[in-house]
Amino acid sequence: MFYIRYLGAELRRRPGRTALTALGLAVGVGLVVVVGALSKGLDDAQAAVLEPLTGVGTDISVSRPLSVADDDGSGGAFGQLLPREQRQLQRENREHNREFNFAELGEPGERFAEDSFLSTQLSFPASEAAKIRALDGAEDAAATLTLNATHVEGVVPEGGAPPLGGPGAHAPGGGGFGAGGGFEFESVSVSGVDVRKPALAVVTPDQVTQGRYLSEAPKRARGEAVVDLAFARQNEIEVGEETEVAGEKFEVVGVASAPLGGDASDVYVELGQLQDLWDREGRINAIQVRAESADVVAGLEDEIVAQLEGADVVTAADLADRVGGSLADADDLSSKLGTVLAIVALLAAFLIATLLTLSSVQKRTRELGTLKALGWRQRLVVRQVTGESLVQGVLGGLLGAALGVGAAAIIDAIGPTLQASVEGQAAGGGGDPFASAFGQGNVAAGSTDVVLGAPVDVGLLALAVGLAIVGGLLAGAAGGLRAARLRPAEALRSAE
Amino acid sequence: MTGDPSNDREKETMSTASEITPTYELREASRSYGDGPTRVVALDALDLTIKRGEFVAVFGPSGSGKTTLLQLLGALDRPSGGSIQFEGQPLEELGDLALSELRLRAMGFVFQQFNLIPTLTAAENVEAALAPLAISRLERREKAAEHLEAVGLAPRAEHLPTQLSGGEQQRVAIARALSRSPRVVVADEPTGNLDSGNGEMVMELLARLHGELEITLILVTHDEWIAERADRVLRLADGRLVNDSAGQAAEEVAR
Repeated sequence: MFYIRYLGAELRRRPGRTALTALGLAVGVGLVVVVGALSKGLDDAQAAVLEPLTGVGTDISVSRPLSVADDDGSGGAFGQLLPREQRQLQRENREHNREFNFAELGEPGERFAEDSFLSTQLSFPASEAAKIRALDGAEDAAATLTLNATHVEGVVPEGGAPPLGGPGAHAPGGGGFGAGGGFEFESVSVSGVDVRKPALAVVTPDQVTQGRYLSEAPKRARGEAVVDLAFARQNEIEVGEETEVAGEKFEVVGVASAPLGGDASDVYVELGQLQDLWDREGRINAIQVRAESADVVAGLEDEIVAQLEGADVVTAADLADRVGGSLADADDLSSKLGTVLAIVALLAAFLIATLLTLSSVQKRTRELGTLKALGWRQRLVVRQVTGESLVQGVLGGLLGAALGVGAAAIIDAIGPTLQASVEGQAAGGGGDPFASAFGQGNVAAGSTDVVLGAPVDVGLLALAVGLAIVGGLLAGAAGGLRAARLRPAEALRSAE
Repeated sequence: MTGDPSNDREKETMSTASEITPTYELREASRSYGDGPTRVVALDALDLTIKRGEFVAVFGPSGSGKTTLLQLLGALDRPSGGSIQFEGQPLEELGDLALSELRLRAMGFVFQQFNLIPTLTAAENVEAALAPLAISRLERREKAAEHLEAVGLAPRAEHLPTQLSGGEQQRVAIARALSRSPRVVVADEPTGNLDSGNGEMVMELLARLHGELEITLILVTHDEWIAERADRVLRLADGRLVNDSAGQAAEEVAR
């Protein structure tokens, strides 16, 4: 086709204009690619942080935390609890409410060891899980029991000893034994999981980084334990070794990596066995719920609150909102500034391409007029001008895609790290020490570093090329319109 | 203008041969631009008949309306008043597309600035005139080569306009104008941008092709020497025809 040869000649023999137009569009769409890739990278980074946080399939987590009557943010003391709740909690921890009588442990100077459980949450019957499972919009629900197993050992002191009063004396997380000095006190958080529903459990098979998950059959899972990576490191426990919880030995079958912001108990065992150890059959204190779809989560949340008195319901979205740090800032930046930047660059590129095309048509007035004089129909002349712009658009798109890929590769190579931080406490108030977010384990608060990538996918590149073509077409339309208005008599104008 | 008698006789024979179908008939043809007080009359009620095969040279100072006349005769523009018939067809009644088609089928143009497309080679420039025609690529190429050959530029076919001299460029333009075998060639000061040697060569070529191809050649010029080669000389001033050698010749014959 002659027109294509002409088009090629125009682009080839006016390299400056072709390059300028294509480059203008390329920079514009290249920025779009970079911003798009960064945005995708940030989303990926956020997803990487959130994925373990939200659990693999858990949409809603239900627990019955103790509500603090006077939430002044000072945190901590049981004295702030309502009398009724104090009574309830005392019932939960009846073992601990005993007077700690050294006389019962042995003669002064003898060694003693004492194991007990401490719950900071109210328990409820496992049948609640079945009721929630039956609610509209609930696909499945799994029961969990999370407790602190405390272990005290030492030498029975001479004479009197400081009384070990309420459970308040035992700060979760373990530590020394106050003024006692001669005692060792250990507190291990342990979660009993429904091994038949591993995907919904507070620890999921995906989180196991070494060894394996608990056996799927509850009977076979008895005696097995999955330990948290941090706990395993701290206590130098390896897969295949044993760990002790409340005097009971468990074989460590796997090590799980603590998810940021998720539930991180030190040890995970089979639910029934933990209930037996606690000596409260059929009691649980958290339920993980999977909704049928994201749309029904809000409705389901309301239903659960109505169903279970005093229930605290935390959705995955609540948790996601709590991710902060430079990751969130960057995501914010990319979604606001980045998008604005990309749009401005793109508009500027379109404008540059259009102006260059208009100026080119202006400069080629005589040439285009000559073509018309030679009997080229309007349509042919317009097609020629538009075609040139279109090809420049395609060139610009390809160049822009290459620029974008290059810039994204540079970002990938540099691999900037962003920090994602998650507050350990549920939203609301100055920090309710007993209302942990998901289940009752120690929510893995703190921060994690995420390496930012800039993944460029085919869709993004297609978008870039498409945008450049749109830019080329816009420029071509403007140029074509001007060319269409040229009168063939323009060819002779300069002679006058 | 007077020329030698043998030359005159030759011209005479040619015009009589094509007297039957006049190519152009202008009746009070006018072209004005603008409206109201800014209205400019470029051509004022021109009556003119141009016979088929005539070589007409149009003289006149700047602003006399000769380029406007050329635009009208070249079907590049329509009269704003009166009538211009081309081969019996009133141009003022034709739409843009029909005028475009008419230019494609019947006209060739030669411009003062040559108006070659700078990014195309000599051969491609000739092909540009053939592109809208429904002919094969091979045929188009052959025609282009043939017409470049006719103006003596076959060896320069692959040169870009910038690689050609002014005279060569104008010869490419002539090849382009003639490539579609037009019935009329409209030339706007074809020697205006050329030195005398090249100008003469181009005129030589135009005159020869006019003789060989029996085309109607209408040529606007400043160069008086060209008039000697023309069958007929029109002189314009202020948009009016002030002198027509056809009438003069008739007078001379009468005297």
